[in-house]
Amino acid sequence: MQVSEDQLRAWMTDGLDGDAVAHAALLRALVPLLLSFYRRRMRDCEDDAEDLVQETLIAVHTKRATYDRDRPFTAWLYAIARYRLVDHFRRRRMTVPIEDVETILMTEGFEAKSAARMDVDRLLEGLSEKQARAIRDTQLDGLSVAEAADRAGIGVSDVKISVHRGLKALAARIKGDRP
Amino acid sequence: MNTEQLIQSLAEDVPVVSRRAVGRRIVLGIAGGGLVTLAMIVALLGVRPDLHTAMHGFSFWMKWAYTISLGAGAIFATARLARPTDLSLRWLWLMAIPVLLLAGIGIGEMAAIPSADWLAMWLGQSWKVCPWLVLMFAMPIFIGLLWSFRRLAPTRLRAAGAAAGLCAGAWSATLYCLHCPEVSAIFVLTWYSLGILLAASLGALVGPRLLRW
Repeated sequence: MQVSEDQLRAWMTDGLDGDAVAHAALLRALVPLLLSFYRRRMRDCEDDAEDLVQETLIAVHTKRATYDRDRPFTAWLYAIARYRLVDHFRRRRMTVPIEDVETILMTEGFEAKSAARMDVDRLLEGLSEKQARAIRDTQLDGLSVAEAADRAGIGVSDVKISVHRGLKALAARIKGDRP
Repeated sequence: MNTEQLIQSLAEDVPVVSRRAVGRRIVLGIAGGGLVTLAMIVALLGVRPDLHTAMHGFSFWMKWAYTISLGAGAIFATARLARPTDLSLRWLWLMAIPVLLLAGIGIGEMAAIPSADWLAMWLGQSWKVCPWLVLMFAMPIFIGLLWSFRRLAPTRLRAAGAAAGLCAGAWSATLYCLHCPEVSAIFVLTWYSLGILLAASLGALVGPRLLRW
């Protein structure tokens, strides 16, 4: 069951006003959202995904003062979720036993990915903020179009159009870069 | 612990959070650190004896206008970077305005005196220590901001560290004005700004390590 942005936001705001029941309802509603967010990103580590969900719930709780009531809730939530994921990979890389080749290969892959990501970031800089964001959310972070629309606080068709136009502009730029 | 138990224990502690909690937390950190800085300046260097007269003059307020406007901009940048969501920092170029204004005053001052005196005006009496003192007095404020950040959620740690360093440097320079007797705009533009930049660089350097959560 997907809970709407409006409902989550209402619970969050009530929680900030001191309503413990609303706060608990919010945290419960976040569990499936976060599970699907992390599972999509780490297919083979079910345990890690569950740990990350708990860590993120704790972060949502302890850092709740940083939510700005005038802005979309899911944007804030996924920003925290993404930060926890990056931090998880960073910690993981620091504590890998040297003989654990498989894990090392995985983290190496992560490094390559982040390098690629930096290149992508540089490319996306040339686009409008809305297009860059739509592409980043749907094409790189694996959000669905509906999730991306929720996060950015714009319509679904707006996201689709932004992605389409953004990709077209990127393609044109890359072609233009080559002699 | 299973997730339901976790949620229940978290939901036992749900204090009211004000809309201004982030700003208040940052200002509190700066104010706490600033008090320590002020005490250090008074104890180690002493307030300039002519402070009262100086406060009726132009150069004192020129210096304060410069450092306080940088400090205010830095507070806004820090408050933005203290939240996890990406917010535009494009308006930061506004912070170039006080720098340009001060440079304008500096050029005016240089035009008014013979060029043989330029070097003396630029170096003043204290150019060798000024940037280092600004950096040193920035430390308590920076530590205050680290305390602020423990409740906050920066996701761009290097940028947040730089903003916190900038903040600490600018407010340290503001308090250092209470001691420093230098009067020329190009002195402030060079040596104060250098101290502030050193603080910001240090913040950027240690940010990723100290601001993790």
